[in-house]
Amino acid sequence: MHLRIALPDQPFHPFGCLERWHRHLHDQGHSGSAAEALFIGRVRGEAADGSDLEALELEHYPGMTERSLEQLAQACGGRYQARSCLIQHRVGRVLPGEPIVLVAIGADRRGPAQRCCQELLEALKHEAPFWKREWHVDGSSTWITGNTPL
Amino acid sequence: MQVRLFALLQDRAGWSARELPLPADSCLSALDVWNRLNLGPWSASLRVAINQNLVEPQQRVHPGDELAFLPPFTGG
Repeated sequence: MHLRIALPDQPFHPFGCLERWHRHLHDQGHSGSAAEALFIGRVRGEAADGSDLEALELEHYPGMTERSLEQLAQACGGRYQARSCLIQHRVGRVLPGEPIVLVAIGADRRGPAQRCCQELLEALKHEAPFWKREWHVDGSSTWITGNTPL
Repeated sequence: MQVRLFALLQDRAGWSARELPLPADSCLSALDVWNRLNLGPWSASLRVAINQNLVEPQQRVHPGDELAFLPPFTGG
């Protein structure tokens, strides 16, 4: 499986990333997948308490986070015989509306591609060391202690 | 041994990394280290990593290890 993991600390454009990823796969001799499932997550404009959100801060554990993502992607991709996997996850300060995560799974069929994409997304939310902190408009902040419902 | 804290734990403790001398014949577990650092009561929602691998809190630590206490993950 072709795998790329990136943790940019600056805003990224999901479709530009995908275009570069597809070009990279092509350059590597990858023939392209018949099915590709995508997930793009963006930061909500609302904090967990319903107030306006100024920004979200993403902390991670450098080294461990990348390795965790790789292990999760290899395990999940292996179960669904995925042919390619791209994970792009922001770290640092992310503004409402900005992309926070992009997952793209290439496979031979839509079923495995979609299931792999969803399973990997849930795995990275719960099993990779990332932490979110909400910054409020009054300058205060709150660490998020749980994930949003599926 | 180096102890690292992240996110909420870091804010609570007021530090992110600390060197902790550990005798070569130490039998301390990660949980013992937590209790010695006065970081408050242990919570089952916390996770432990030694040298960046998730382990059980009862796992023994050794000189030179990087021990990290991790609040629940909230990525994605």
